[in-house]
Amino acid sequence: MKTRVWLKFFDKPRLEKPLAIVGSPGLRSVGKLALKYLVKEVKAKRFAELYSSSFPILYDTKPSYATMPRFPGIAGVKVKNGGAFIPRVRFYFSVSPELIMVRGYHANFEGQYEVAEKVVEVLEEFKVKRMFVLAGYGWDGPQVCCAASNHQLIEEMKKFGLTTGYVGPFMGFSGLVFGLGVLKNIEGICLFGKTQPHPEKPEFPDPEAGKNVFRKLREILSLNNGNRFS
Amino acid sequence: MSIRVKRLTEPTLKEPLLICGLPDRGFIAKQVVDYLVEKLNAELFEEIYSSYFPSYVLIKKDGTVELMKNELYFWRNNGGGSDLILLTGNTQPLTPEGQYEVAEDILVKAENLGVKRIFTISSYFVEKHSTEKPKVYGVVTNPNLKEEVVKHGVQLLDRGSVKGFNGLLFGLAKLKNIGGICLLGETVEYTTPSGRMVIDVKAAQSVLEVLLKITGIEVDLSEIEKQAKTTEEFLRRIEEAEHQALEEISKTLTPKRQTYYYI
Repeated sequence: MKTRVWLKFFDKPRLEKPLAIVGSPGLRSVGKLALKYLVKEVKAKRFAELYSSSFPILYDTKPSYATMPRFPGIAGVKVKNGGAFIPRVRFYFSVSPELIMVRGYHANFEGQYEVAEKVVEVLEEFKVKRMFVLAGYGWDGPQVCCAASNHQLIEEMKKFGLTTGYVGPFMGFSGLVFGLGVLKNIEGICLFGKTQPHPEKPEFPDPEAGKNVFRKLREILSLNNGNRFS
Repeated sequence: MSIRVKRLTEPTLKEPLLICGLPDRGFIAKQVVDYLVEKLNAELFEEIYSSYFPSYVLIKKDGTVELMKNELYFWRNNGGGSDLILLTGNTQPLTPEGQYEVAEDILVKAENLGVKRIFTISSYFVEKHSTEKPKVYGVVTNPNLKEEVVKHGVQLLDRGSVKGFNGLLFGLAKLKNIGGICLLGETVEYTTPSGRMVIDVKAAQSVLEVLLKITGIEVDLSEIEKQAKTTEEFLRRIEEAEHQALEEISKTLTPKRQTYYYI
């Protein structure tokens, strides 16, 4: 497939052993929201952006992350406050705690794997050994449940009151970054926030579910310096 | 990425046969090959990942994650016959470009490993479920192979097509002068009321029995026999439920008897 993926760095942060946190606009935008709260909490700085010829601004599939061959979508720019923005994956960092945060963007079928692979390459470059992937799930179960790349991690998450719950496909950007990261020996933990699916607008934001995931992540990362949503 | 390969070991094999069973519409192929992998205790030697696979990962019941992948296993035949290479996986490539690319990649490996014969498996869909043992149909890439399948009760397909990866792989094998046999199990496409496909284990059993006769390999079939009986019972119940539902519908649709009056 002829997908072009390229990176633009604004800064090259020096980090010793960063954890990565990944979120993208999936089911009810739970992952994207949780990541947004984290970025604000740790006052993260943007240091890189990833662009791809497979990033549509208008998707042919609904939800956007349920990609299908032959449904490439329409390319273009996003406009915000009079400014134009090419669709992009955004990389942020914080020094204390040492984190790399990835705000994802869903490529079409042609580029999903290439984009995820490039993101994993960036994480490898920063010697990331563990990532947390934030997303939503639309089943009965706890407010936040987990999945992981191995059983030890699932055991480790039990001390934060987390159990497994969701079973099935994990679609789109975050799912593939998680899976391809595992292939590159980056261990992964998914935090799924319970939400109510919205058939008409699958990515319609559910801030409460986003906050639940963020609170759990904050507990795991021992971020006690703020009172947001506590 | 297109295709990414994770080679775990480099087996040296004796005149191996390649048996392919990626999941397709009827799931018979995967059922057969997975059964062989389990019963022969075959060893995984390669994982294949491709950007032509569906763009998601699977969260399994135990909470761990699995990428979409194809897997190659090998089995050494200590009985003196050919070794086996078994291809299975949790998906097949979604586009024709991907199917060609992955199939060609597998055929190159097959050539390098000395494969002389390829078996692929698929489904032959019929309208009505039969209480008889499902038939096995066959297609061969070389006229010399016809006799080999016919003598084991396989009915050669006169015309039609074998769709998807399992058909393509076998067709491309012909271009590489590798003898290919495709076995198709007769089945009815059953789905549960929630739309889930019911795997016809009885058809898989028929294909497996023929495959074992042709290859001369011995495998314990008791488990698949048990599964086939369970499927048969399940299908019978579905048919009963369908029949009952149709009767109920026909009752409600029967027009009320009209009373006619002479005026």
